[in-house]
Amino acid sequence: MLLKYEFLKILRKKSTLIVMAISLIVTGFFFGLPIMQYQTYNQNGIIKGTAGIAYEKEQCKALSVLLSEEYITDTIKEVQELFKNPDNVGYDGNEQFLIGNAYWNEIAPREKLLNLIANNYSEPNELLGYNNLPNLDIAKGAFFYQTRDSKIKALLNNPSHTFSSEQKQYWNRMVGKVDIPLQYGYHEGWNIIISSFELLMFGVLAICIVIAPVFSGEYQAGTDAVILCGKYGKTKLVTAKIAASFLFGTIAFVFHIVVACGLPLAAFGLDGWNLPLQIANTTIPYPFTFLQAVLINIGIIYLVLLCMIGLTLLLSAKMKNPYFVLMIVVPILFIPMFLTPNGTTGAYNLTLFLLPYRSTMPELDKYISYQLGSMVLDVLTIRGILYTLVTIILLPFAGLGFKKHQVM
Amino acid sequence: MQLQLQNLSKQYGAKYAVNDVNANFVPGVYGLLGANGAGKTTLMRMICGVLKPTSGDIRLNGKTIDELGEQYYTHLGYMPQDFGFYPDFTAQEFMLYMAAVKGLDKRKAITRTKELLYMVNLSDVADKKIKSYSGGMKQRLGIAQAELNNPSILILDEPTAGLDPKERVRFRNILSNLAKEKIVILSTHIVSDVSYIADTVLMMKQGQFLIQEKKQTVTAGIKGKVWELLVNENTAVEYSRHFSVVNLHHENDMVRLRIINESAPRENAQPVEPNLEDLFLFYFGETTEKQEEI
Repeated sequence: MLLKYEFLKILRKKSTLIVMAISLIVTGFFFGLPIMQYQTYNQNGIIKGTAGIAYEKEQCKALSVLLSEEYITDTIKEVQELFKNPDNVGYDGNEQFLIGNAYWNEIAPREKLLNLIANNYSEPNELLGYNNLPNLDIAKGAFFYQTRDSKIKALLNNPSHTFSSEQKQYWNRMVGKVDIPLQYGYHEGWNIIISSFELLMFGVLAICIVIAPVFSGEYQAGTDAVILCGKYGKTKLVTAKIAASFLFGTIAFVFHIVVACGLPLAAFGLDGWNLPLQIANTTIPYPFTFLQAVLINIGIIYLVLLCMIGLTLLLSAKMKNPYFVLMIVVPILFIPMFLTPNGTTGAYNLTLFLLPYRSTMPELDKYISYQLGSMVLDVLTIRGILYTLVTIILLPFAGLGFKKHQVM
Repeated sequence: MQLQLQNLSKQYGAKYAVNDVNANFVPGVYGLLGANGAGKTTLMRMICGVLKPTSGDIRLNGKTIDELGEQYYTHLGYMPQDFGFYPDFTAQEFMLYMAAVKGLDKRKAITRTKELLYMVNLSDVADKKIKSYSGGMKQRLGIAQAELNNPSILILDEPTAGLDPKERVRFRNILSNLAKEKIVILSTHIVSDVSYIADTVLMMKQGQFLIQEKKQTVTAGIKGKVWELLVNENTAVEYSRHFSVVNLHHENDMVRLRIINESAPRENAQPVEPNLEDLFLFYFGETTEKQEEI
């Protein structure tokens, strides 16, 4: 009963409905933007929006292929052959590229795949396009996966990263779990979701705004005295308030996720859910499919949300006005937005990657690890553990704050 | 049933809001009188367990609040001064919610809600949101929620403040019906409420009890100190400057004054029977809010 009424108290407020409606519209706008702004090209010009998506998808149909050494070698050869004909080649004073039918028929439909292949041969942190493929010597074969292994090794041994031997072992073990050869295919919807996750912060903030008055609203309205002197005012009611906040937060979160994932997947399709992340970047260490990566990151954002609800409740129990609560919560959520990491190691970077805003970004292509003694954990695992622990620690203090509240 | 306050104090910095108060409550209606800032609300909050005393004990049947834990609150009904409601709840939802907070089972909660809303004459609007209620309706809902668990200790802080005379009479009648076999502590600075309802008068000033007396005998201390005299208007002004004038009533060209003074303010002044208001003014003087008189 108490849970029901505490939940109703949150839900019945007009402000709750307004904040949630705005937040869902904003989330819908942010995650719908890549659909509205999507554009691709063909010989006739730009194709925008859903028409562009449909065109691109059609072009990619033939690209559901296994990226075997043989396939890669043949593909590189094909591109190199195209560059051998001077009629196909343009030059902008800086670099060469294919033009005319050679480009539109042979490159454009598979440009992303060709870029992926080209980038496998680049130096760490260097971005290459398909026009670098003619520079590769593939007389003895493409050695695609061997090159990938070497690139990862170089990345782990880069002096600026200062990875310990345990960390190197950890990442090598993880990379070893990636199934090769990679299966390639269309995966645009998942790519957009993964690259936009941080935009869910507005949803997290909206939920915190709604939760902020759970305790402090009682002080502000003057209902604290009457409920605290009830039999369960300092016991079951506190639990009910916390549970109702989490229940509301969870339901609101589900709505946001449905909007955030639903829009891109409705527009781009579910294609690619079972494909490996490495087809977006071959050096990604995590052996997940796109669906697994999205689910794991949604799980982490959910834990961030629970922790922020815990913090909001703690502040709410301690402060007499919900606005004061938000004056602390908002900077915690958004100040890290203006801080940029300058690497993946060092105390500053390692702390930054654990702050709420950064924690919503999966950073799948980065080798971010934390070492405690001989134990090494990747950033996703650490975020999961950290936010669970902090939530568990915060909640009793939130409850205690209300129990010990003095009606002045 | 016995509620004891033992050397109860509440201190904010150097200032005592309640200073070494001792009292022993048995079933009956206690009218707690005092000017604003006398410490009434602080005392009531401490009795209700929502404000921790700086020192001293509150004991119910010999056991402290801490010893009794949740059990203490099952005996308690509290209507704080100006307490808020949940504007988006209906009266019925609010009552059911409060019943859950007070630990009533669902069936009993529904029955008590119906009974009490009927008693406070809110049955017809039970499904209306509280934000549409008038001040009087909210006050009646306030007492209804305090009564939900049929408490043996009912604490009412300024329950009639802001009510019109008709609402106050209705409120007093409701309270008279509820008060049987309970310890009712009613705080107010409206003297007439205490005159009508209370069995015992507690008068509080600067955090301490000045008086703890049965209503019938409470004015005995100022017997022979209340006077009436008829004077002209100019003289009335002079008297108002030099004496504590309780009441001033125009009769044609003359003014009838009611004065509290140790001795007769003049030879032909008539001694009159003191009432509770005289007593209140005797202790709280000109600072008393006369506008509260009906």
